[in-house]
Amino acid sequence: MKDKSFDYNIYLEDIHTTGRIGLSLGLLMLLAAPFLFALVSGAHFNLQGLWPALVKVLIIYIPSSIVEFLIYVPMLGPGACYLAFITGNITNLKIPCAFSARDIAKSEIGTPEDEIISTLSVATSSLITMLVIFLGVLLLIPLTPVLENPVMKPAFDNLLPALFGALSMQYFKKNVKLAVFPLAFMVVLCVLIPSMITQTSTLLIANGAIAIGLAYLMFKKNWL
Amino acid sequence: MHPYAFAGILPCIIRRIQMQTYLAKANAPLLYLIVGVILLFVAGLCVVFMIKSYRAGIKLGMSKQVLKRAITSSATFTVLPSVSILLGVIALSGSLGIPMSWLRLSVIGNLQYEATVAQIAAENMGKKLDSAILSMNDLVTIMLVMTIGISLGCLLSITVLKKYSHALQHKPAASTSTKKTKSFSSFAMVAMFIGLCATFLGSYIAQAIVYKHMLPVYTAIISAIAMGIFEYLATQKGFTVLENFSLAGSMILGMAGAILISL
Repeated sequence: MKDKSFDYNIYLEDIHTTGRIGLSLGLLMLLAAPFLFALVSGAHFNLQGLWPALVKVLIIYIPSSIVEFLIYVPMLGPGACYLAFITGNITNLKIPCAFSARDIAKSEIGTPEDEIISTLSVATSSLITMLVIFLGVLLLIPLTPVLENPVMKPAFDNLLPALFGALSMQYFKKNVKLAVFPLAFMVVLCVLIPSMITQTSTLLIANGAIAIGLAYLMFKKNWL
Repeated sequence: MHPYAFAGILPCIIRRIQMQTYLAKANAPLLYLIVGVILLFVAGLCVVFMIKSYRAGIKLGMSKQVLKRAITSSATFTVLPSVSILLGVIALSGSLGIPMSWLRLSVIGNLQYEATVAQIAAENMGKKLDSAILSMNDLVTIMLVMTIGISLGCLLSITVLKKYSHALQHKPAASTSTKKTKSFSSFAMVAMFIGLCATFLGSYIAQAIVYKHMLPVYTAIISAIAMGIFEYLATQKGFTVLENFSLAGSMILGMAGAILISL
């Protein structure tokens, strides 16, 4: 039975306050982590490499972060969003998980019930992920000598080819026409100027812009 | 032993010592403690949100059964994808150490972001994600780039989420032009990822053509084939559970292929 003294707007205010304070502290701790790692291990930041890397990463991820924020907030609601943005794995885990919980609870989109189910779902999902990874790390520690074995080295050296091979299959399948030009452009450029092979961080900004430009043209012409 | 043979072995031995020293430092117990404290805080925040929303649900008149079902279904839904994220931790730990991989994949971001940004940061220091080359200076720099690069979602939540969600509550129905822009934004996201994949894949193909360095391209092919098989089994044969493992599973198979080819 509904508690008549309950005010949903007061609940939302409380969620915003807790979310803002919690995320501020969490973000500060996360930003402090590299400095603590440096302090503990006696390491120093490579400032010459830091700034150009940061500029490139921000050029790529600022637009996508803004788009994701604008899309995810209406999808998840405020409570779930505060947690989703600090715990990550949003597209691949938190959104499908919250949607599945809403389906099971049969809550209607945009209602207070929906907001509560989403928050419960994302909070549970985040805790389970942290727990599974924690248990995995406990098991992983005794395996450290195996992971450090030189036989394993080619595997870890080829982490990115493995990642982008799998992702290419996933994304190129969505639109082969769109993939042909950026891939051909990259191969031809790197074959003609081999020094470009080690400049992927710069080229991916150019190639991303080419792909988005092409997508826009194809979208306008209804080719997508 | 011929002196030239010794001269060839010596750099290998030094590289191996450097590698062990770096990984030993990257896996230092104190780093686990730092990560543990941060994760405990984030877990505490999740518990606070859970309690608040559960109590609000009860006060709203929702049944305890529905709320408990939302919790149990979310928990069971999450287990398999979490194992997949754990495989990502294993994959990253070979070059970045376990504590950093544990932190980066437990909170903010995802495997794809972390691996890409780590590569960008390493490349800008004239390095690559190779434990024999990296130093602790590189590791902390990579970590800082990764953290700052993904912070915008959190910053936007702290600063504008309240106003934005208020605005959404009173939002009028979307016009046709917004719908059109919205639909292009989904294409733009796919296009951006296609550009990202094409850049890396193109560089591996070029490496194979120019330097006959075939291992990256073979690894990419193996994981692409594995992804194709996972997707086929999930979408055509009804093994939907495999969707949770397709990315991490394909990567692990690709990386296992790299070991076998190198033997």
